[in-house]
Amino acid sequence: MREKPLQVLLVEDNAGDVRLLREMFSKERRDAFELTHLLRMSEAETHLAKGGVDIVLLDLGLPDGHGLDTVRRAHAAAPEVPVIVLTGLDDEALAAEAMIAGAQDYLIKGQIENRALPRALRHAIERHRLQTETDLIRTNQMQFKDEFLSHVSHELRSPLTAVRQFVTILRDGLAGELNLEQRQYLDIVLRNVNQLQSMINDLFEVSGLQAGKLKIELQCTSISDAIIYTANTLQGSAAAKGIIFSSDIEPTLPSVCADPARLRQILIILVDNAIKFTPTHGTVKIQARIFEEDSDFLLLEIADSGCGIDPDMTEQIFERLFQASDPDSADRSGLGLGLYICKDLVTRQGGKLWAKSTPGLGSVFSVTFPIFSLPRLLAPGFTEERQTERPITLIVTEIGSQTGWLSNEVRAEQCRGIRDLLRGCLYSDLDVLLPKMDSAGPTELFFIVANTDGIGGASICTRIRKQLDSSERLQQAGLTHSASYRSLDAIKRNATESKEDFLERVTTGIQELMNEEISARQAKNE
Amino acid sequence: MNSKKILIVDDNADIRLGLHLRLKANQYDTFFAADAFAGVAEARKHRPDLIILDLGLPAGDGFTVMERLKQIPFLAVIPIIVISARDGLGNQKRAYEAGAKAFLQKPVNDAELLAVIRQALGEPAGTKSPTLYDQGSV
Repeated sequence: MREKPLQVLLVEDNAGDVRLLREMFSKERRDAFELTHLLRMSEAETHLAKGGVDIVLLDLGLPDGHGLDTVRRAHAAAPEVPVIVLTGLDDEALAAEAMIAGAQDYLIKGQIENRALPRALRHAIERHRLQTETDLIRTNQMQFKDEFLSHVSHELRSPLTAVRQFVTILRDGLAGELNLEQRQYLDIVLRNVNQLQSMINDLFEVSGLQAGKLKIELQCTSISDAIIYTANTLQGSAAAKGIIFSSDIEPTLPSVCADPARLRQILIILVDNAIKFTPTHGTVKIQARIFEEDSDFLLLEIADSGCGIDPDMTEQIFERLFQASDPDSADRSGLGLGLYICKDLVTRQGGKLWAKSTPGLGSVFSVTFPIFSLPRLLAPGFTEERQTERPITLIVTEIGSQTGWLSNEVRAEQCRGIRDLLRGCLYSDLDVLLPKMDSAGPTELFFIVANTDGIGGASICTRIRKQLDSSERLQQAGLTHSASYRSLDAIKRNATESKEDFLERVTTGIQELMNEEISARQAKNE
Repeated sequence: MNSKKILIVDDNADIRLGLHLRLKANQYDTFFAADAFAGVAEARKHRPDLIILDLGLPAGDGFTVMERLKQIPFLAVIPIIVISARDGLGNQKRAYEAGAKAFLQKPVNDAELLAVIRQALGEPAGTKSPTLYDQGSV
């Protein structure tokens, strides 16, 4: 038992209840408890903030605080101090809610048995201490794990760098001619180095996923490009296993709203997996079409003729560190993180990922992505009262480089900051800064659709130029910028036209202007 | 022949040698430094056309090197390519802010490295046929 008296703060406005509680405390050893009594929640908050309180006895019906709110306020004023709520006989439901809101216990007024009060106080304090300790341990463990993963993958990368360098130096004949056999063996080394490298990247990725550090930049992205990229990357490893890898893409497929790098990463993981679990002379097929169940989404299917998945396992395979249990059916060469990373990436981009399988006949992995739709992005600006006649201005901001060439790294690095700047230049909530469109060659283009006429467009351009002029980051990176605007003639809604048709017509107009801007730059580049 | 000079600052001797062999095969001259202090000193001495810089170094780190080079006018203009085993997210941002031309994650893809070097040196792509094995692996 501790030597110092326990500091108890009683917050209660009912004089009768206070008297009763004081009486109970008076039966205890004098140096065991020291009672401070306050009438109001505001006083209690000030007192708690000063510190020194071991436990709070809190009435839920104070003049300046009521119900769960008082518990939350006490908790906010001193998160480390346990709270016991005092309730009336008919208030047990509220007491239970108070426990969920963070109270340690509740006592029903008038029902506190002889000597039960000190025990309740000590238990509450002890429980609170244990809970705090457990939380702290868990936080520390999570942090340690992230640091550990990050450290390990870092340390593994350096020796792997040297291994890779020298294998490629030998393989490329920089240290003398190789015979066919030597070359084949070095290819085997290199293949395994690549595998090790991708495992280390997975480790990094996972520690990033959990720390929420992952960057996803949604933009107008072509699915066919991603599929072609995936096919080019993995055609070799499919061919090496004698697997027929084919893709079937509808030619008029719309673009999706996704991060292109992440989209490629997802496809590579899924197709790589399919190849891994498909025996020699099998097939892997990738298909894309509009999702039948929801036409706002595009559906991608990766089908293989592999060993399949136990129907009970089709959800578990997306869990962290899941490994195929049958060692004969696959070369177990991953960490069991690929599908987990994949699912996380798909979900963060607003899509879904699931698997269906007939064991022995193969599996189908399905991914959906939201279709990129200009009308949907612009729809919020088309409220009923503002839709009859409207001036619309397209504002084009162009970021280039003094060297005339913008590297992908610089693009990726600078675009987010520029977007934030541009967003700050908008006048109305209804103006839309569009996501990244198709590449405009050597420069990066940003489009704003503003609900204003030419004069408003000119003034937004001035704001943008001012903002970009004063950006040190842009200057340091040696970037140039320009802003211009193009007004659509005020478009009238026909009496017979539906809101959707009107929106569609306006969107088409904007799209045409954007296409002109983009192709003008592409032409300049050629 | 007018070869461009590249300074390699990395504390790992194997990696220095590996980079040297790869760069030599692509007609670049190389110099070396194994710590942050020597990095600045060698840059002063040789005035390279480009610096390949590791981030984790003794006697400071890659960021210290960039900071010091920035204070010396005739060295401040040298393009720097950072190659690091460190986590890309935060460090990449910091490296660009410190003025690096590129950030590459170790293990580095040779094709990518050579392309980035050529760009940083303002050499048109494809003037040299690079000797390399891997073309854009993932």
